[in-house]
Amino acid sequence: VFKMPPSPSVHPAQLKMKGLFVFAVLLAAAFSRETFVGNQVLRIFVADEASVEKVKELEELPELQLDFWRGPGGQDVPIDVQVPFASLQAVKIFLESNCIRYSILIDDLQSLVDEEQTQMIRQHFMPRSVETFNYASYHTLDEIYDFMDLLVAANPNLVSKIQIGNSYEGRPIYVLKFSTGGTKRPAIWLDTGIHSREWITQASGVWFAKKIVDSYGKDPSLTSILDNLDIFLEIVTNPDGFAFTHTTNRMWRKTKSVNAGSACIGVDPNRNWDAGFGGDGASSNPCSETYHGPYANSEREVKAIVDFVKSHGNIKAFISIHSYTQLLLYPYGYTSTRAADYQELDNIAKAAVAALSSLYGTQYRYGSIITTIYQANGGTIDWTYNQGIKYSFTFELRDTGRYGFLLPANQIIPTAKETWLALMTIMEYTRDHPY
Amino acid sequence: MQRQSAARLGPLLLLLLLPLAWGKGPSPPRAAEELQVSNRLAGQAARVALHYLNYRLGSPSALRALGQVRKATLKTIPGIGHKYYLQFTTEDYKSSLNVGTCLATVFYLKRKPRPAVNINCTYTKDQKQIREDDYSFYKKMRQQTKPIIGNDIPDSYGNIEPALEPAWALAVAGSSYLMWEKSTENLGYFMAQVKNVKQWITKDDSIDFDYSVVLHEIPTQEMISCHLRVIWTPGHPLKVKYFCLSENQWSESEEGSGTESGSTNGIFNEKEAHF
Repeated sequence: VFKMPPSPSVHPAQLKMKGLFVFAVLLAAAFSRETFVGNQVLRIFVADEASVEKVKELEELPELQLDFWRGPGGQDVPIDVQVPFASLQAVKIFLESNCIRYSILIDDLQSLVDEEQTQMIRQHFMPRSVETFNYASYHTLDEIYDFMDLLVAANPNLVSKIQIGNSYEGRPIYVLKFSTGGTKRPAIWLDTGIHSREWITQASGVWFAKKIVDSYGKDPSLTSILDNLDIFLEIVTNPDGFAFTHTTNRMWRKTKSVNAGSACIGVDPNRNWDAGFGGDGASSNPCSETYHGPYANSEREVKAIVDFVKSHGNIKAFISIHSYTQLLLYPYGYTSTRAADYQELDNIAKAAVAALSSLYGTQYRYGSIITTIYQANGGTIDWTYNQGIKYSFTFELRDTGRYGFLLPANQIIPTAKETWLALMTIMEYTRDHPY
Repeated sequence: MQRQSAARLGPLLLLLLLPLAWGKGPSPPRAAEELQVSNRLAGQAARVALHYLNYRLGSPSALRALGQVRKATLKTIPGIGHKYYLQFTTEDYKSSLNVGTCLATVFYLKRKPRPAVNINCTYTKDQKQIREDDYSFYKKMRQQTKPIIGNDIPDSYGNIEPALEPAWALAVAGSSYLMWEKSTENLGYFMAQVKNVKQWITKDDSIDFDYSVVLHEIPTQEMISCHLRVIWTPGHPLKVKYFCLSENQWSESEEGSGTESGSTNGIFNEKEAHF
């Protein structure tokens, strides 16, 4: 038994007649305001094919302005639909009169949207300076790129921004150069964000950049490092992937390049380097998260670094930063043959991990890639090591699996701080052991 | 005459065979290898043991995470499989505080679908507190008139709404069953995110949740979507049904002790465990 709904909503009897243009126009006008006030999301439970067909009838009525979040499928598959306020009564009565069970998934869509907006605004406050920038929160690509410009503007004698190339989708790829002068001094390279979903890394990169400028002239060790070497820091190594993690898929890892002959997108940038390329520790399937790509350096993001490293010719330490599982790794990943400098690298790693742990007790394991994590072919630091960059390391930052890629923002600064101690250990060693 | 001497020989033969039964006789060659504590396979096996423990304990408040591997040995049993002997520390899943040490064996058999686990742990967390926490979650869920629903737990920024935290913990417990079943010597899992949770209000004593979870698979790096149905009454084994997008049928946990694939002696108090 059901009541007649009050106007101006749609009368259920008219649903059966299909196509009430007046109502369509009214609703379209209401809908163009782009507000979700009073809209609900219903979950409809269809127990038999007849019910599925009934719901499909609703789909046929554009004047209802229904927005199916999960469209009708087979029986037993719930259907989720956003129903504008004006159509609510009619839709519910229609369902009830056809004995179709439903529940209200979202009571008031607008309040959910408002909540999300508030969250976003809280997270993405546009900074006016590097002093008011929020280092304890995750940022978008635009915010990080703005931060870089602010940092350079505030420290023009220490920091400059270099564009080393463009991403597949045409975004500029930037590297910050920290230098106190000289010509092609020996240099240390740091990169974060090569795998876009590893958000703690880009966030730490931003913190490292600020730490460097804050420490120069104050911390004797960092000052002597920069008086003798340059530091290059690439914060967003995979900008296309990073943008995608914000807009569409938080768990995106690869680049966004189109793969010929496949519907699947992207190449794993940490399997695309020319070191053991194409072996078992990578996939030849474009749909795989570890797809190595059609050939080594096929990815612009990788090629840009390769070109930079080769033309610079004087990089002495190369550190590529990932997350998670709390590891400090050195070559090799593509072979179980020990690197020639294995013992020295192991000693450095041991000291770096001890330094990291000294701050909050965070435990890291260390060792070669292949023994400590898994076989990986075409990896970054295997290539850099084979190029002669002896102090080549990869970090896997916090945590050990509770939050994984979704590390809470309140861990950004502690993670960056402890990791910095390990980085300082490696950089000091590089400074003190020229080769 | 012959029968009489045979009868006398019987017990004598038995006596001769006894030492073999005790294992003093010749046995097949078993290669035993001590592993470095940083070895990835050791860590992986320890995690498998903990998935099993978390599932069997079936308690959202008693979940454990891996601390550090203290000792690891690998025995290769030719034609049968690889058996890991492990000693490792554990942390409380929520607080990360150390909550005790475990001894475990994890047996990857060539012919069985899932690893056989034996695990014993010491426990430093207050048992009474755990039971109270579990019961208070249970009571709150039983009292719901509107079913609990949620999305993206944690969200992109790692936030978990406090009201949804116990439901998330129950998802971890339920996912532990699935991760244990799916783990192999080379494939490991983490629960990356609860995409969706919906409570079913039931008329019986249990609480009943529907989950969509995303698992992170190592070393493939794939994100696997699974659907999980978890039915729980405190103090009873978790009932878990799951369906992952790469499979074409539901898998279900056994009722009862299910000791054929593993066992846990649960909790005991011992200061020092020797291996």
